[in-house]
Amino acid sequence: MKILVIEDDRTVGEYVRRGLDEAGYHVDLVGDGDEGLRRASGKGGGGGGGAGGGGGAGYDMMVLDLRLPKLSGIEVLRTLRDRGVGLPVLVLTAQDSVDFKVQALRMGADDYVTKPFAFEELLARVEALGRRPKAIAPPKLKVNGLVLDTGSREVTRDGKRIELTPKEYAVLEYLMRHQGRVMSRTLITEYAWDYHFDPGTNIVDVVITRLRKKIDHAKEPKLIHTVRGVGYVVRA
Amino acid sequence: MASIRGRLTIWYATALILSIAVFAVVLYFARRSATYQDLDRRIQSEADLTAGILAESYRARGVLVEKDTAGRPVLTQDVAAVLEVVPDFLLVTSRDGRLLFASPDARALTFTEFEQLNAVTRPPPAPPTGSVPHLTGRFRIEPNGPTLHYIVRAVPDAGEQFGAIFAGANTQSAELRLEQLITTILIAFVVGVVPAIFVGRWIAGRALEPVDRMITEVREITDGRTLHRRLALPMERDELSRLAETLNQMMARLERSFAALRRFTADASHELKTPLTVVRAGVERAITRPEMPPETLATLEETLQEVNRMTELLDALLTLARADEGRAELHREPVDLRHIIEEAGETGELLAEHAGVGIDIRLPSEPVVVSVDRSRVRQLALNLIENAVKYTPRGGQVSVELGNSNGRAVFTVADTGIGIAPGDLPHVFDRFWRADSARTRTSERAGTGLGLAICKWIAEAHGGTIEVQSRPGRGTTFTVGLPRG
Repeated sequence: MKILVIEDDRTVGEYVRRGLDEAGYHVDLVGDGDEGLRRASGKGGGGGGGAGGGGGAGYDMMVLDLRLPKLSGIEVLRTLRDRGVGLPVLVLTAQDSVDFKVQALRMGADDYVTKPFAFEELLARVEALGRRPKAIAPPKLKVNGLVLDTGSREVTRDGKRIELTPKEYAVLEYLMRHQGRVMSRTLITEYAWDYHFDPGTNIVDVVITRLRKKIDHAKEPKLIHTVRGVGYVVRA
Repeated sequence: MASIRGRLTIWYATALILSIAVFAVVLYFARRSATYQDLDRRIQSEADLTAGILAESYRARGVLVEKDTAGRPVLTQDVAAVLEVVPDFLLVTSRDGRLLFASPDARALTFTEFEQLNAVTRPPPAPPTGSVPHLTGRFRIEPNGPTLHYIVRAVPDAGEQFGAIFAGANTQSAELRLEQLITTILIAFVVGVVPAIFVGRWIAGRALEPVDRMITEVREITDGRTLHRRLALPMERDELSRLAETLNQMMARLERSFAALRRFTADASHELKTPLTVVRAGVERAITRPEMPPETLATLEETLQEVNRMTELLDALLTLARADEGRAELHREPVDLRHIIEEAGETGELLAEHAGVGIDIRLPSEPVVVSVDRSRVRQLALNLIENAVKYTPRGGQVSVELGNSNGRAVFTVADTGIGIAPGDLPHVFDRFWRADSARTRTSERAGTGLGLAICKWIAEAHGGTIEVQSRPGRGTTFTVGLPRG
């Protein structure tokens, strides 16, 4: 899967490129709107004809910063759509005003992520836009005897069903997706709540306490581990 | 508008009444003077006529005085018969002051009244010019007789037999005519002025109608989301078209400054958020790297928290900046508020459990569908619940309730917490307002100080309200009302 990233800020661009790269995407990074448009429209410039219904010169998706030198993101988007290129476009914007988002969506963007973004969020949106074939079932996440079905949202341990509230499920899913890696409280909160609590509000700790009762109580091995001062990790 | 119209009408009516009054006074005095001149001319000609008759008769016959049966001197019968037809009061006296003739009107007077007339009838002094000696005057016959205008003149061309002629006319008919004039003026005044005031009111209304239209138009333009529209300029180059032009120029300036503000907030958010994105990206990459030692991770986590804090503060400032601009940027869709409150409620339960506070969430059995910006209302609910838990001591109770009242969705968050001092209550929705340190639990850092300001903006941007009631030591209740439909 090939993704064209158009972002003028090198650090942000590199970060997106590396992150998507690690997630298994092939990424090309360009720094301005002109170049991006040329690439997306195909080298001959006859992008509309050559790319067929949905294509954009061999790219499967575009990640587009709205503020670019030479040609603004909105103009890139408009030109692209005028040429009949149906490539899915994910917009990066520093503007969180609804107006701006609505404008971007009207211009033919498929989705947007507001800066500064958690990489997780960008990845989730890229995956959603990637139109992966439906045939591939949503994955089941497994750690030892603990199984989380992201399709049916069912959780079992050693075959026994565990009832979780939505927030408990969200936290567990996030930890299991990144099993073996320490996830900080802030990252977990962002994923499960998308809300900035006051610093010092250890809501994640409460959820973890509850999850432990339901998952690790009287069971071995313990799967949820605390990393002091940072967060939590799920590992066998 | 009603007041200007009313004032114009009053001014107009006052001007009209004043000018009519001046006209009436001038008319009255002109008529009065003309009427008395007529009267004076009449008695003058009566006196002259009498003198003429006496002079004529004297030339023809000489002596005109004879004795009546009682031996008193009187005017000769045939001359007296001629004078008999003269109306008004006519007296003729002899040189020695004896009455020779009195007209019928004069004879009809009582003795005392008549004597007053007789007393006046003395030969007038000769004027220096050598014309006929005469005297004019006015007097009232006492005790309650009529008022007379009179003339007394000498009879120079009738020998030595006559002293003076008195001719006097009752002013009563003249007064009556002037009274009628006053009545007529008063009637004309009422009949003319009252409709004129209504007509004036109508004219003022008509004149102000374009202003009214302009007000409606301006309101539509400034209420709406776009300031692109301008007032239509009237064809005539009058005051109203200049007003419309001025308003248009003002709106153009407003539009420019709004655009500049928008550009500034856009620039500011981009310029501030891009570095934040970079910092965040670095921290996030490092924090999710498997081989990081825990101490480094703890530092990175703190950094991440601070980045989030800055992001939140920035978002809140930009939201409020745009709110000041008057642009309600909401992505409205019909939402069952129960889902939002339920989700926020679960979070509330988690927070309450951590804080050792009881929480009680009551939702109606019927859906509460309201057209709102889902994420904003969620933020509002979470903010109020988080606050309630934060300011309630261990063992306290927080109650969250959603309901309906008068066609509005009403959401209340009540706690049994430390409450807010009465003096602080009016300020809780102010920006960067924070209760004194006693309110905050020890070791906990306060938030941005913008939370409740944002809550207020969210409620009001939806056309709703937010209210707070509190008693120190007893607890605080926040009530949010959102219009339905």
